[in-house]
Amino acid sequence: MLTVKRGSLWVLASTVLIPLATALAFWWVPDDIDQGFSQKIFYLHVPVALSAYAAFAYGAFAAAQYLRTRDVAWDLRSYVGVHVGTIFGTLVLVTGPIWAKVSWGVWWDWSDKQLNVFLILFLFYCAYFMLRFSLDEGERRAAFSAVYVLLGVGLIPLSFLAVRVAQQVLHPVVFTRSGAAMPGSFVLVFLIALAGMLSLTAGMITLELAGKRAAIRVRELRRRLEGSDL
Amino acid sequence: MIADAVLLARKDLLLELRRREVVLGMLQFVVATLVIVHYALAGVGRAGLPKAAAGMLWIAIVFTALLGIGRSFAAEREDGALDALLTAPIDRAAIWLSKVLALLAYLGLMEVVAVPAFLLLFFQHGRPALAPLLAAVVLADVGIAAVGVLVAALAQAARARDVLLPVLFLPVSIPLVIAAVTATIAALAGTGTLRPLGFLVVFDTLFGLLAWGTFAELVGE
Repeated sequence: MLTVKRGSLWVLASTVLIPLATALAFWWVPDDIDQGFSQKIFYLHVPVALSAYAAFAYGAFAAAQYLRTRDVAWDLRSYVGVHVGTIFGTLVLVTGPIWAKVSWGVWWDWSDKQLNVFLILFLFYCAYFMLRFSLDEGERRAAFSAVYVLLGVGLIPLSFLAVRVAQQVLHPVVFTRSGAAMPGSFVLVFLIALAGMLSLTAGMITLELAGKRAAIRVRELRRRLEGSDL
Repeated sequence: MIADAVLLARKDLLLELRRREVVLGMLQFVVATLVIVHYALAGVGRAGLPKAAAGMLWIAIVFTALLGIGRSFAAEREDGALDALLTAPIDRAAIWLSKVLALLAYLGLMEVVAVPAFLLLFFQHGRPALAPLLAAVVLADVGIAAVGVLVAALAQAARARDVLLPVLFLPVSIPLVIAAVTATIAALAGTGTLRPLGFLVVFDTLFGLLAWGTFAELVGE
């Protein structure tokens, strides 16, 4: 059970790093001049969003590997990557509006790129589960799931681009963040939070994979015990 | 390969010509949708109508396209002809391309009615820039067909096929709709449409290549 150990180590790392980043964010980093206290959610929201992308990227990579090798292990990895990514994506859609409400006064801002792209991705990956669970287990389900996940590789950049193009044409007011670079302490705490969240992602993927593999193994053993494949 | 695709597409169009199931249905659907949308926008008032209308054209087109997409593999499924098609010595991608061509023909026929009806219902007094509007429609059709046929192939093997198809198709179509609506608004207002049209070209190319490259994984085996 090497994978369980590895997954647990990742999770352990995250249980150190995430509280550390949270504590530093609250007690060490000064309040943001512009947004004040509410900017603290940045240390949760942005690492969660980047972790979701990391998990989706892993899922897409595994899907491509599946189509190349036809090894079912990659199909399982792809599924788990998308699953964990969707969990983090849900968290982005929860934390995003909270931040938006506090700092812009609205729950949802249709001109915010990140949030809207996540909404599109969320719909896209939810459909993935529907597709997967309405196909019978086997080679065909694996191939169909992989092809659909690969569509996401095109969808992510195109969603960003589409929202941008619409903004430029329809709302030509360009609001630039007036180049005030983040102070060093912000960056440091952000990086700790990001490392913690990525460890959590890696841990969740590893452990879910171990669990799924164990379930498949149990099913095989039970079938053998019942003598159905003798 | 292209010759194979054209041949297969001709077969689909011939079937459609004999049966007249898909295109007539799409025509009625799109006109009914535009009329419903017109009444749904009753609160907008005459002055706001042209502005709100651009989105309505694309709601009508995308949802009507779903009808055609859903029938893409109907003939093969109903007659069990897909297996026969797969044993034929042709490239798998040619099957995808033939379905894309047939779907483009259906979409084009539907829009020949839908776009004038749209202009009549929503835009009687303006002078829209017709060339960019048509360019947006054509470019969007290519993207809808490229993605639609792939998604139809995914859905046709699943259990709740009819429910699954829109659930799979609509999220992928969102960037396309964003750009198409943007281009239409700009065309109706007579301002620059280069960026959204450029985006549609990128969308068509990227998803065309993705669908082309992966379609063989869905059929076959």
